[in-house]
Amino acid sequence: MAYYLRKTGYFVLTLWAAVTLNFVIPRLQPGDPAEIMVRQLSGQGEIDPAQVAAVRAMLGYGDENVLVAYGQYLRQLASGDLGISFTYFPFPVVDVIGKALPWTLVLVGLTQVVSFLLGTLLGALAAWRRNSRFDATISVGSTFVGNLQSVWIGLIVLFVFAYTLGWFPASGGYGYTDPGWTASHVADVVAHGFLPALTLMVTAPIGFILSMRNTMVQVLGEDYIRLAGAAGLRERTVALGYAARNALLPVVTGFALSLGVLMGGSILIESVFDYPGMGRLMGEATANRDFPLMQAILLATIVIVLTANFVVDLIYPLIDPRARRAAA
Amino acid sequence: MPTTPGPVLTVEDLSVQYRPALGPVVDAVRHASLRVDPGELVGLAGESGSGKTTFAQAVLRLLRRPGHVTGGTIRWGDTDVTDLDDDALRPLRWSAVATVFQSSMNALNPVVRVRRVFEDVIAAHDDPDRPTDARERAAELFDLVSVDPRFLDRYPHELSGGMRQRVNLALALALRPRLVLFDEPTTGLDVVVQKSVLDKIRELQARERFGAVLITHDMGTLLDNADRVAVMYEGEVVEDLNTAQAVTTGPRHPYSIHLVGSYAELLGERVPGYTGPEIAEPAEVPRPVAHDPVVQVEDLRRRFTRRRGWRTEHVDAVQGVSFTLREGAVTALVGQSGSGKSTIARVLTRIDVPTSGTVRYLDQEQHRPHDVAALRGAVAAEYRRNVQYVFQDPYSALNPTLTVGYALSRPLANYHHLGRRAALERAADLLEQVGLTPAGRYLGRLPHQLSGGQRQRVVIARALAAEPRLVVADEPIASLDVSIRAEILEVLQSLVADHGVGMLYITHDLLSAATLADDVLVLREGALVESGPAAEVIGDPQADYTRELLDAIPHPFARRTSA
Repeated sequence: MAYYLRKTGYFVLTLWAAVTLNFVIPRLQPGDPAEIMVRQLSGQGEIDPAQVAAVRAMLGYGDENVLVAYGQYLRQLASGDLGISFTYFPFPVVDVIGKALPWTLVLVGLTQVVSFLLGTLLGALAAWRRNSRFDATISVGSTFVGNLQSVWIGLIVLFVFAYTLGWFPASGGYGYTDPGWTASHVADVVAHGFLPALTLMVTAPIGFILSMRNTMVQVLGEDYIRLAGAAGLRERTVALGYAARNALLPVVTGFALSLGVLMGGSILIESVFDYPGMGRLMGEATANRDFPLMQAILLATIVIVLTANFVVDLIYPLIDPRARRAAA
Repeated sequence: MPTTPGPVLTVEDLSVQYRPALGPVVDAVRHASLRVDPGELVGLAGESGSGKTTFAQAVLRLLRRPGHVTGGTIRWGDTDVTDLDDDALRPLRWSAVATVFQSSMNALNPVVRVRRVFEDVIAAHDDPDRPTDARERAAELFDLVSVDPRFLDRYPHELSGGMRQRVNLALALALRPRLVLFDEPTTGLDVVVQKSVLDKIRELQARERFGAVLITHDMGTLLDNADRVAVMYEGEVVEDLNTAQAVTTGPRHPYSIHLVGSYAELLGERVPGYTGPEIAEPAEVPRPVAHDPVVQVEDLRRRFTRRRGWRTEHVDAVQGVSFTLREGAVTALVGQSGSGKSTIARVLTRIDVPTSGTVRYLDQEQHRPHDVAALRGAVAAEYRRNVQYVFQDPYSALNPTLTVGYALSRPLANYHHLGRRAALERAADLLEQVGLTPAGRYLGRLPHQLSGGQRQRVVIARALAAEPRLVVADEPIASLDVSIRAEILEVLQSLVADHGVGMLYITHDLLSAATLADDVLVLREGALVESGPAAEVIGDPQADYTRELLDAIPHPFARRTSA
């Protein structure tokens, strides 16, 4: 019980730190966002200071004391108000993100889960047959592929499957079907999501493969594996119930951490495929100096990664009894 | 199943080679033969690298590449298993030959309850027509080894070391095997626990009539418990000793003589033909008489506080211990694990501070006392130089990327401000003092190029480099082979005799304390139960606990003496 309390405490604390940094960092940056926005809206020419002040007030960048502003920021955050987007003016940031987030969550979430399953399975298999040809192919291949740039892979995939073969659409989240839970729309969405997913899937399992293989090779040297062999247990029982089960523990910890990396990687991939998710939005926000949107996306990403870590922390004692003891 | 009168294990002329993809072929086992009858306990002795573990793996048919059986036969009962494949072996495993591994810590799958391991093993061999109730059988087995069956629902990490080894013993007996192979089953356990595990094995053997092979480098245990001892040396079984005969007429092969002799020497017994290690006996050198006190410990207490949720718990690791360490004298601190030995060492090393009581350092010039916990400036530097440490595990005490010469010249440069060349010359002297000759051969080596005994010598030389007044040696021989232990003890002894260094010798082994120490402190649960001159404490123990520790030491020669 104390374990869960402590983990919840950590979660709340890091969340608070992230939210606060999100407040502090833009204020440390040079340049005045309100001025930039006015410039953007009015095009070239003179800037009216009154206009800037008005926009600033609208954006919530008042002249008050920092602490007052901080309190206000927290209150706004609690009520789900993250400001107004410059790029998609006058839509609130929350709405803009709300539209993009599901696309990325599905894309990244699915590839992450599939990569985890595929990666641990391949890694376990390579370790079980270590020093075989299969192991050599997997290990060397992983190291090679793992060093490729995902943008480059994306371009190749785009070129081969979208332009040359024409099997999949090259860009967008869906084509000319009406949004809704109809078979044709779902098929359309899947077709559009396939290439970005494929691109992410080339590199995403690599980390799992390598860490699973290496920990499992270590676990295979443990006495309880030798004992299971000496006791004449079936190979499948030893490989799955004894070796893979134990080797999985550190890999699970890596799951949540790699989620953040994957979210970051999706910025480039979504740009390549013009996929309507958070990554593309982030690219747009950066290009347009859309501070409220950037801030909100950053916050959303941090919250997602922190939550994933928190969930893994909560699950961990279920799969490793030793953590329960350390917890008590 | 009716027990057949024949042997339960027959190994004839077994040879095992390691053929790595790179590097030379190694003959790990050469033409070794061994026979075990029902109910018999056969010891397999030899130091690390002698091939006994490879032999065991081959016998269990668990040999992994690049190991290959190149000749001979292995029979489990009547079945020749030398060339059987895995599928044919599987039904025989654990019912013909079971095993208990060295580190009881890791032999149970850590992520499942103990019960599951029993169920897996029983289910793997169960006859589908007459299913065994695994629950009931597991409870029965726990009763057999005197562990409360409630512990079946615990996880391995929730069991103590001794209990875990009993559980492993229970697991080995799950299918009523005809042979159990014990690979160093009690290494790392306390002497008292060790004795109880061995007694249990003997008792169960008498009842269940399984044959047993006990692999260990601890000659005392073997001579005390085994019926026969096969001595392995460089892959060969050089002698198959009858235990009774080993203590009376003595072994014949030079290596067996060395093994038995070096153990007997610790007990103060003689074995025909044994001449002792090559280093000259330092006992004959008169010890310096001037015994200046270096460290005075007075009423030392250390309490650990642990928070558990809202409650706090106290553990009194050390409870009012007092003693004085003098130059040129060895004080042994003896106790089981958890007795507070390490806490005292940590206080002396200034890693930890006492809760109450004082540790005083008497400086070299004027013998003024200084509180160790509050040392500052020049006196702190003097203390650091004058109190040096020798750690238990020579494998992790040396930086693996630095040469011996460098490791030794660092303290020389730090404490004596020697230049590079002078430091190396001095380092060579030090190596010769600890018996690593010619020193030139060792200066350029890295730790992994040395054996365990050589490493410990380097660690001792490093402690000596500062020319300290006091050396704290924490279980310096515990992780070494028995045949090397005597030599390291001699090196330590010569430090005291030749250099007038004082020593705190921390150990769980009363026997080595008796040979080395002038005074003995017996520690139990943080308190001193007995202290005094070594000869008195060992010869005429007053406390029950000291007697218990003494009784746990295998003394096979007692039979000879009393007969």
